[in-house]
Amino acid sequence: MLSTVARRSLNLRAPCRTSRHFFASVSSSSPNPSTVGPFQVFDRNAKRIQKNASVTKDNGETSRVVDYVRDEVADRMIERLMDIKRKFNTILDLGSGPGHFSKMLDTTNTEKVVMFDSSEKLLYRDPDSDFGVEVERIHADEENLLQIVPRNSQEAIVSCLSLHWVNDLPGVLIQMREALKPDGLFLGALFGGDTLFELRSALQIAEAEREGGISPHVSPMTDSRDMSNLLGRAGFTLLTVDVDEVKVNYPSMWELMDDLRDMGESNAVIGRRHILHRDTLAAASAIYKELHGNEDGTVPATFQVIFVIGWKPAPNQPKALERGTGQTNLKKVL
Amino acid sequence: MLPSTSSATATTPHRRLALHSTTTCAVQASEYGKCILKTYTDIRKDACKEEFAKFGACLRTAMRRKW
Repeated sequence: MLSTVARRSLNLRAPCRTSRHFFASVSSSSPNPSTVGPFQVFDRNAKRIQKNASVTKDNGETSRVVDYVRDEVADRMIERLMDIKRKFNTILDLGSGPGHFSKMLDTTNTEKVVMFDSSEKLLYRDPDSDFGVEVERIHADEENLLQIVPRNSQEAIVSCLSLHWVNDLPGVLIQMREALKPDGLFLGALFGGDTLFELRSALQIAEAEREGGISPHVSPMTDSRDMSNLLGRAGFTLLTVDVDEVKVNYPSMWELMDDLRDMGESNAVIGRRHILHRDTLAAASAIYKELHGNEDGTVPATFQVIFVIGWKPAPNQPKALERGTGQTNLKKVL
Repeated sequence: MLPSTSSATATTPHRRLALHSTTTCAVQASEYGKCILKTYTDIRKDACKEEFAKFGACLRTAMRRKW
């Protein structure tokens, strides 16, 4: 999600080695931005490396420390699952990470959960004993869901904060719909466009003022308005989309950036700059504080979350009535 | 959140930069930030050059190195 920061290498050894003290995350086969198609925004290989590295660091301790955003959102997502009066045999958790959402499931929701993630280390970070239900883990790329999961095979697919790294979001939504059985449920949470707007603006202003140009440091993210259109186009029905926010206060921009890196959320936009100049960083830190800072000296970071619910159509499913067929005058009711 | 930048044992250059930009040079950082606040709707290169020069000089002294 955020940029790479690297010490300027003094003797220009190429390529930059990934050091765990920095945000550097140079993917060995980093795609050339001018040779990839319009749907290639993110460097999936770099993302996998970043996620794996976040777990390797301190045996996963730092990774567990920064679970707070995902645990909070998973908790809010469970509430939405509770509203659905149906018990599942299995739930597929796409982009599960270590299972923030899956860990909150119990036998009243489902018998079994299948975790699916492209980062192997993250997938196996926590032992089965942390889960309330039976667990199966699949290490594969979320973008190729249908290569692993057969069509019409899943009762429910959930995704908690992983779809913001998917290149072809409409395509993945269609794959999910295909993988679902008729009347199957998709429940998801993804980061919305206002996520980290403070950091985005601070870095942009700092780069513009110091260096005279800007480059992508915070990913483009889905607008909440687009989500219902995308779900509709992917063939889901009975849509529910709502937007929520998680605000976290940090001592300064630096702690936020450290935590994002430990979450495995460093920048992975194709064509990103791998280096942020020291002056630009220091400037961004000052701007962040003046522009967005709280009165107590801390700085806020906003995580906007879009919750979505959609169903795969089925003949026996309840449908919305035709427009104009209502019998009760709502004026009288309200 | 990790015990990092605010601790006295900021060892790596990155940590030291974090420490100095937020504490040691907080006054200059704030001056620079206030200048940006006045101009950020029409930002251009070196809009707050003078303020940053002071902030940068403070950082270079605190870090005891040039860049």
